[in-house]
Amino acid sequence: MNNWIFRSTTVKTSVRRTRSAFFFYQLPTSQIGFFMVLASTVAVLLTAMPTEAGTTGAPRQASKPAMGNVQNGKLVFEIQGCNKCHGSEGEGLATPGQKGAVPRIATTSLALPTFIQQVRKPAGQMPPYSSQKVSDADLADVYAFLQTLTTKPVASNAANPKEGQRLFTTYGCYECHGNLGQGSTRTGGSRLGPPQIPLSGFVSYVRQPNGEMPPYASKVVSNQELADIYSFLQSIEQPPPSNTIPLLNQ
Amino acid sequence: MTKVKSPSLKRRDFLRGATAGAAVLVTTPGAPGKPLTANPRTGPPPPMSHKAEVEIPSVAEVLTADRTGSDFMVDVIKSLGIDYVCANPGSSFRGLHESVINYGGNKSPEIITCLHEESSVGMAHGYAKIEGKPLLVFAHGTVGLQHAAMAVYNAYCDCVPVYIIAGNIIDATKRMPPVEWSHSVQDAAAMLRDYVKWDDLPISLTHFAESAVRAYKIAMTPPMMPVLLIADGELQENSIPNDAKLSVPNLVLATPPQGDSAAVSEAARLLAAAENPVLIVDRAARTPAGMALLVELAETLQAAVIDQAGRLNFPTRHPLNQTERGRDAIANADVILGLELNDFWGTIHSFRDQMQRTSRPITKQGAKLISIGSGNLFFKSNYQNFQRYSELDVDIAADAEATLPALIESVKRQLGTRGKSALQDRGARLATAHQQTLQNNREAATYAWDASPVSTARLCAELWGQIKNEDWSLVCTTGFVSRWPQRLWAFDKYHQFIGGSGGYGIGYGAPSAVGAALANRKHGRLSVNIQCDGDLLYAPGVLWTAAHHKIPLLTIMHNNRAYHQEVMQVQIMANRHSRGIDRAKIGTGIDEPSIDYAKLAQGLGLYAEGPISEPKEVGPAIRRAIEVVKRGEPALIDVHTQPR
Repeated sequence: MNNWIFRSTTVKTSVRRTRSAFFFYQLPTSQIGFFMVLASTVAVLLTAMPTEAGTTGAPRQASKPAMGNVQNGKLVFEIQGCNKCHGSEGEGLATPGQKGAVPRIATTSLALPTFIQQVRKPAGQMPPYSSQKVSDADLADVYAFLQTLTTKPVASNAANPKEGQRLFTTYGCYECHGNLGQGSTRTGGSRLGPPQIPLSGFVSYVRQPNGEMPPYASKVVSNQELADIYSFLQSIEQPPPSNTIPLLNQ
Repeated sequence: MTKVKSPSLKRRDFLRGATAGAAVLVTTPGAPGKPLTANPRTGPPPPMSHKAEVEIPSVAEVLTADRTGSDFMVDVIKSLGIDYVCANPGSSFRGLHESVINYGGNKSPEIITCLHEESSVGMAHGYAKIEGKPLLVFAHGTVGLQHAAMAVYNAYCDCVPVYIIAGNIIDATKRMPPVEWSHSVQDAAAMLRDYVKWDDLPISLTHFAESAVRAYKIAMTPPMMPVLLIADGELQENSIPNDAKLSVPNLVLATPPQGDSAAVSEAARLLAAAENPVLIVDRAARTPAGMALLVELAETLQAAVIDQAGRLNFPTRHPLNQTERGRDAIANADVILGLELNDFWGTIHSFRDQMQRTSRPITKQGAKLISIGSGNLFFKSNYQNFQRYSELDVDIAADAEATLPALIESVKRQLGTRGKSALQDRGARLATAHQQTLQNNREAATYAWDASPVSTARLCAELWGQIKNEDWSLVCTTGFVSRWPQRLWAFDKYHQFIGGSGGYGIGYGAPSAVGAALANRKHGRLSVNIQCDGDLLYAPGVLWTAAHHKIPLLTIMHNNRAYHQEVMQVQIMANRHSRGIDRAKIGTGIDEPSIDYAKLAQGLGLYAEGPISEPKEVGPAIRRAIEVVKRGEPALIDVHTQPR
């Protein structure tokens, strides 16, 4: 019974956030700014309310983004779509340095002003976010949220690729990604083998995917099992170039 | 024996009399006046009575007929140029059946023996996509149409003309008990009325003739769809009166509707002024000419083309073909033209199937949306295949192929001589992107290249290697093998692809492939079908039909041993509920025992090999099977494959 009560509470929170995101997608751009202001206002009010930890956040001024509200930061992170490129836990989506890579930003080493400056005028392919689109206060909250995402070891034991292959099949990963993680345009399952993201990002995505993939909660797949699966994917050899296969050059 | 021509003595009257006579017969042999103790239905047949054997009847019954209504019906059918009748035999159309094979000489139309009405209609579906015209389906008005219903719905959704004549016995007093009562129905068309374009119940031969010609005309006018006529048993089997004045009406097909000229001009203006126009085509090309027109429009505009493959609309290796990077092209477009695009909304939105289902547009703000399609010309309420409402800037209710010539001319006028270098630059950029995409596809195909079970990329590459120098025709959908044929093969002729089922009803693949192969036979084409295992199991008897009628067809089993789409659906639910994530194949797997499709096919009269799990064995097996198909027979290779 207690589980049901707890579960319902969790779902309710999730619904509110998702609807917020959906709501913004439906709006003309001209109205998004208004609602972002409204969201900021709500965020300020939320900050003033007692949090789960029992603290009370003081109303903040945009010019003084010293301390951030983690809860609002996560909300802004998702509404603004930061998670779409950087991953739901800021882990990045490809090995840094590669073309198209998105850097890991969890536990950013940048100072807050530099972080805000980077968001306003990004150096790479990231689109700029103006202060009309997201305020300094909200960015401070995002910053605070990112600071909570400390990279934790996902597995304590040595990973077992053979066990990983078994789990990859048993837990249905192959259904969308193919038996060797080759992916499929039809299922939407991306190519996994060998993986292009670090283990932490892999685990983070599996737990809370931002696309079509169904989530694998820790209740049904442990971090150790995910590490085994990851090691299986790592063990898959790179295939030969297509120009060495005559059937692929006809 | 003198024949007494009595218009009042009709077939059913005779049957009723004969039934009464039989009743007399079963009470007279043995001990006269005493009822039989044995059940007349299960006991031995009674001997003929002495009285019946020696006495001359006072009035001779009319027991034969020179010409019946069904003969005239065949005359009408022949006038429509229909080549084949697919039918699983049924007594409610026995008159028509006999007239086709004897009065009509079993030629144009020729009876194709089917083992299930779903196979009959599925064959008609595939046939029409190659031949551009319908074949005929005969079916019982009740159980036959019930079997046929799923396939009819597919054809309806896919805008394909299928011509169905169903037998029924309207007059309750003429039905022989008990089966004919169970197989008779008050309104036979009712069960299909939601997904046929038109139906009728003719009550005279003249009525039949006019409705038969009208039905053909309606089926062939875009949007093309199935039609249904009910042929009353009495009308089929009764003699044609001597004084009957019957004639077959001329068939003149209606010209397909073209778009309003002002709207076409506005569409052309938007396209000509666009920086990044995108053409999205689904069932746009009805004929080879339609494909050529699309190429002309795309090249005139140097526009990106996304082919959703309802038909083969656009060559896969054309540099403007951007299908595999369609999402990027749509996101970058300032003007999008959908041509017979069934799901415009779904094309320009992403939809996320998580706990909360959400969607968002993938177009950039302000992008102009234009549609030309015949979907606007025909709507029904109950079945929801018309998809979500899309907010369009220009919506032209017309047949796309018929409208293309006017649109191309208007675009050319609007373009004039301006911006030629810009067009060339755009074309060059798209050509580079196309080439890069092709290379990406080839690289993607290398992953799991040597895996066992065989990857779908390897399967399709091996197949392409064996057929690329033939006049081939891929008579199946490709989504279940991750569209590898379109990603790796060079399609450039209209008959090389027939598109999907339309209504996503499983059981379409095998019969539509056999039907398309039937149409390809006279052209000497090599018909190829990548056949899903679950689909074949709905009605595998259609393989026997291919063997019996010597329909050359190469079938390669994509045997992933599951209803894989449903495996994934159950997996989604298990993950969402965080339980039993290793149990998704319960109720969805087709293994333990694994089905031996080679043996199944051999039992149905086909050459067959398999199952094959090793990639290197696939190519040689296909080569051997092609030799059989070239001799005019069907062949099947069973390959154990990866899911998609």
